Amino acid sequence: MKKIGRGIGLSFYGTGYGNGFPDVSKARVRLLEGGKVGIYVGGTEVGQGAKTVLTQIGAETLKMPVEDIVFVHEDTVHMPDAGTAAASRQTYNTGNAIRVACENFRNKLKELAREHLALNSIYGLKVENGKIYLDFFPQKSLSFEELFEKSSKGDIEAEGEFVAQTVMMEEETGQGAPYWPYTFNACGVELEVDTLTGLVEIRKAVFAQDVGRAINPHLVEGQMDGGFAMALGYVLFEDLNLKEGKINNNKFSKYLIPTAMDTLEIEKIIVEDPESTAPYGAKGIGEPTMIPVGPAILNAIYDAIGVRITELPVTPERLVKAIQEHEKEKGEVK
Amino acid sequence: MEAYKAKSIDEVIRLLSQFEGKGKVIAGGTDLIIDIRNKKVKPEALIDISSIDELKTIEDLGSFIRIGAAATFTDLVESSLLDENLYGLKKAAREVGSPQIRNRGTIGGNIANGSPAADSVPPLLCLDSTLILRSIKGEREISLRDYYEKGFKIGEDEIISAIQFKKPEGRQILSFAKLGLRKALAISRLSIATLLEIGGDNRIKTIRIASGSLGRHPLREYKVEEFLIGKDFNEEVINEAVLVLKEAMEERLKGRATLPYKQRAVERVFKDAIYGGLERLKVVEA
Repeated sequence: MKKIGRGIGLSFYGTGYGNGFPDVSKARVRLLEGGKVGIYVGGTEVGQGAKTVLTQIGAETLKMPVEDIVFVHEDTVHMPDAGTAAASRQTYNTGNAIRVACENFRNKLKELAREHLALNSIYGLKVENGKIYLDFFPQKSLSFEELFEKSSKGDIEAEGEFVAQTVMMEEETGQGAPYWPYTFNACGVELEVDTLTGLVEIRKAVFAQDVGRAINPHLVEGQMDGGFAMALGYVLFEDLNLKEGKINNNKFSKYLIPTAMDTLEIEKIIVEDPESTAPYGAKGIGEPTMIPVGPAILNAIYDAIGVRITELPVTPERLVKAIQEHEKEKGEVK
Repeated sequence: MEAYKAKSIDEVIRLLSQFEGKGKVIAGGTDLIIDIRNKKVKPEALIDISSIDELKTIEDLGSFIRIGAAATFTDLVESSLLDENLYGLKKAAREVGSPQIRNRGTIGGNIANGSPAADSVPPLLCLDSTLILRSIKGEREISLRDYYEKGFKIGEDEIISAIQFKKPEGRQILSFAKLGLRKALAISRLSIATLLEIGGDNRIKTIRIASGSLGRHPLREYKVEEFLIGKDFNEEVINEAVLVLKEAMEERLKGRATLPYKQRAVERVFKDAIYGGLERLKVVEA
């Protein structure tokens, strides 16, 4: 028989290393030829979109187009360390470091503009669209390009650092504040269980993430699609088949992951409740997208057939076994 | 290892004879290349047949259809000769692997490789297909059924040149269903093909059933066929046929760890084949 069930899963997940561990990101910003601005951070782009989002944070802080930002993150000779691209921490931690570095850079530009424009102080100076100008007398203005030409080429730079605030848990009581901030997530699925074959087909899915602020909504949706598909594999397919320490499913013909045909168009909801300690309110979004999918699927299976699954993955064979045990138990109760 | 890109069947059989069993025919290579990498086979020469047109054609010979052994699954999917009553063969071809594998893999390779999970074989067994083999000694024909059930060997100097079968007649409909653990790129856990005809009196006039992955090779399920032939077609009879099939599996696969699962799942696959075929027949006759 084919039976339909619905389930939800909720989760919250801390950004960063946590538990009082030193979590530091550093960034460097430098004025470049033609009035462009270079941002240098040792934060790795692994397809998650860090390079895009971190560029956007820099451009926003310096109030200039992203096209005029030169973002360099691949060469450790040129940049300070921004920690690992892990723990869903690059947007929040390195984003904060870039914002601080850009603010320091802006102040430095104002100081230099004050000297070159022969002003008394930096008050009233604005930095916007590649120039520094006096807000109430805009004729007093200096472009980034002019400033670069007046400087000794490439020595105008500033740095920024962000150290995340977390508290170690007390070993005895387990109390404390091991993470900050948290990303909140909810997932709902409707699925069909074939009680003969044990195949589970997801029919519909809705997925919501409180990301604080979606700096790039397309990328957030990409993370949600990716996290959902990865979780689908983890919950329904991926089985190492470990026997006495030996991995039996040691190739992709045996270790199955979902194909595009096994995934589906999911309804994605982005919730924006800005986090006050975050760059423009944005929190980590990488790992959290995987977490509520498992419980949502398992709850929906329970809703469909009344069987609680406690071991992953729910392969067809394993599900059929659980159904048969359940049928047996029910028979004995009668 | 040497590689030859053959331009004709004659060239292929000459090379096969020349290498005396140490030459391997390669078409799509979707299985063979993996075996070579895993050192399961170590041929001295590879003879590529993938650009020999006479091995790739799907021909209408009146009451017969002949499929060149090097026709790819994509060729089968795209052939208009396999619409209508032969739809089950097209469906099996369409559910092989992924587009990339269907573009490379061939029907001859599916047979020659001998996998119990070969998707195209159960429909071909239902059609009582004949394999046409060529060597420098000449041409011979063996039935696909004997190839599997009587353990006929394709000679080391032989090549499968084509697969031939009689077209289904009247209201006969060929159907296919498989169970894979995901929707693409899944090796069949089990598959069923059926050739079914229900007479005007609602009795089962023709029934041939072949299975994949329910034995050491694809095979005909004679006991189920014997049970069904001549019976009134209804749900109860089909349910009873499922029990007969499960019994046959019990005898054949006793002690296998996968048996309990396959015995349960086979009901879905068998019914999908039977009822899917009848649904298709409605479309064909519409």
